[in-house]
Amino acid sequence: MNKLKLNSSSITFLQILVCIPIAYELFINFHIGGIELFKEFIISAFNPKINNEIIFTLVKRLNETIFIAFFSWLISIIFGVIFGILSSEIFYKILNLPIFLKRFLNLFLTFIRSIHEIIWGLILLQIYGINFSIGIIAICIPYVAINAKVFSEQIENINLKTIESIKQINGIKSSTLITLVWAPVIETFKNFGLYRLECAIRSTAVLGLFGIGGIGTSIFLSFQTLNFRELWTYLWGLAFLIIISKKLLKRFNLSNTSKNFLTSFVIALFCISLFSLSFFVYFIFNKNAIPFNSINNLLISNFNFISYDFLKLLLETIVLCLLSTGIAISFPPIFILILNNKIGITIIRIISFLFRLIPPPVLILLLLMFNDPSISLAAITLGLHNAAITSKLLLANLHNQDNKQYIAMKSLGVAKRSSWLFGLFVKQSKSYLAYCAYRSEIIIRETAILGVIGGVGLGWQLQESLSSFAWEEVLVILFAYSSIAIIGELINGKIKSNLT
Amino acid sequence: MINPLLELKEVSYKNKNNFTLNKLSLRIKSGEKIALLGKSGAGKTTLISILNGTLKPNKGRVKLFNTEFDKLNLYQKSKISTIWQDLRLIEDLSAEQNVNCGLLGKQSFLFAFKNLLNISSFNKAHQYMQVCNLKKSIFSKNIRKISGGQKQRVAIARSLIQESDILLADEPFNNLDPKLTSNIKNLLLITKNKNKIKVPNTTLISLHRLDLLDGFNRIIGMKNGEILFDLEKTKLKKYHLNKIY
Repeated sequence: MNKLKLNSSSITFLQILVCIPIAYELFINFHIGGIELFKEFIISAFNPKINNEIIFTLVKRLNETIFIAFFSWLISIIFGVIFGILSSEIFYKILNLPIFLKRFLNLFLTFIRSIHEIIWGLILLQIYGINFSIGIIAICIPYVAINAKVFSEQIENINLKTIESIKQINGIKSSTLITLVWAPVIETFKNFGLYRLECAIRSTAVLGLFGIGGIGTSIFLSFQTLNFRELWTYLWGLAFLIIISKKLLKRFNLSNTSKNFLTSFVIALFCISLFSLSFFVYFIFNKNAIPFNSINNLLISNFNFISYDFLKLLLETIVLCLLSTGIAISFPPIFILILNNKIGITIIRIISFLFRLIPPPVLILLLLMFNDPSISLAAITLGLHNAAITSKLLLANLHNQDNKQYIAMKSLGVAKRSSWLFGLFVKQSKSYLAYCAYRSEIIIRETAILGVIGGVGLGWQLQESLSSFAWEEVLVILFAYSSIAIIGELINGKIKSNLT
Repeated sequence: MINPLLELKEVSYKNKNNFTLNKLSLRIKSGEKIALLGKSGAGKTTLISILNGTLKPNKGRVKLFNTEFDKLNLYQKSKISTIWQDLRLIEDLSAEQNVNCGLLGKQSFLFAFKNLLNISSFNKAHQYMQVCNLKKSIFSKNIRKISGGQKQRVAIARSLIQESDILLADEPFNNLDPKLTSNIKNLLLITKNKNKIKVPNTTLISLHRLDLLDGFNRIIGMKNGEILFDLEKTKLKKYHLNKIY
């Protein structure tokens, strides 16, 4: 009997098997109690509420969102670059510093990165109460670490021989360092940094759902009052903001800017770095931290929390990650394969845009109209949101790919879908899976958001523990989250290195 | 006896691929124009890397200005410039920015920063680029977008702009046509030139082409990590070359 041989394409499609347990659980938990509400939600998308009051609130909330998103993006990029350089080997080679400092810093950044901005936001909310700055700081903390990782990976790609040649000129160490890291930093900023603004806008919206301010707060309030027309006004406003920011950033080209502008830009960056650093220090040592003292309890508390329930929640979180990742990987290629024509692709684009636009907490609340809370419901929500992101990337890569093989296969009379599969997708499958491996790291972090809303996994327990100021429990949960994320990151690192 | 500028004493080196240099000793005096000959893999690049301090020998001593290499300060180290066989330019910068990188040893951090922002002065870089027969049209071009021969001359301009005392060049005439080869060779070997730029007084150039030996006053032949001969150009005979090729 022939052995089953798996390749990257078959692995991509086989992930669809996760739908069997999900569909079973969703079917069991299905109810039609919210069908009228859902109908109203869909109809409202085409009939958003527009009046002076709503427009005024929308503009105000968008302003807040822009403010939080832009500053958190800018600060996280600046400090991401700084920490990216500090956590790359080249820094220690040029400055002749001991390499263990790098490992220590990397460990610290991995911990910071592994905890979602929502969790940081909730913790800061509990410590400092509602405060406008919390949104910025909550986004900045993990974003700095994420950006640092990306920048550091690109800096590590600098050719060793180029490093030697510049070192051999024997300039001062800071000049040598900046000369070497400049190009990869600028390149990464263009390819990745600008995209992070879109991420910051989404994160601001999600944080808003938890009362931190911005458009998310209005979205959540409208949802709570079931005012779907108002909700769609805010959602379209958010879509408009994302599209405009993307268009504006595409026009921004560092190499074509005038010298005066560039100099002013650098001075502005420097001032913002100083300002944000001083603001951060002020914020941390501000006396508003009302219940922060209760963290002292940690020192005297006994960790009774590690029990059967905790392990169950931990397992739920891991299962949630696996199921969501399966959906995020398999849905885009399967739907592109099935709807493989112009109209079909347009439909996929529109639907994936909507799934990217609607924040996962709102999406799960919508799905709760038909279903009871369960891991499957959380998995389908998180999976669909991330599938919308992976589908965008897959469609863009397929579009940019050389299609000679596809045309050749079609001219030989091979069916359109088979030609697409073997002529186009096979070439993309490895890089697509590598990206999905990176995406799964984000999914691990995002389980926290759905946990808080959907009542599954550690996220739910975190919300409970935070509400009761049980800091010892919070610490255990953070440690658990961090461990899952770090293990996930290590596994994905192996997968990515095998695929690329 | 005149103190040598650069000196190797019983230097041995072994790399990961088990390539070895065996107890090499060499004294390079001011004003010498040395051609380093040998087949590919003879150890020429490794020797140059040890001479400029990029590689540390496993045994033996390397001295510059009669001081151990490890004890030199940055200013003293910057008295050596190198043209690498694989050029080692920074791919994402323009030709003029790459040439300006040669000035890092003499300039402040601000200069390095301004160079990267493209707002520093390129006058000196342009002067050296012109001397290396580079046309104005390529000055601001990204290094990825210029030809192999142009890249070669950018690398030469980058090392000359350092205005060092010793130039170590590893096959610097690769990618150059005969006319350019002759021009660049004259530039590297003749200290007093009409362009009024400072060219290192002491030069060690690794070569493959024997027709380029005019202008050198000392020839070193290498094979399998050993120096087989080290003599004045006038004493070079055919059987010396037969030993190494």
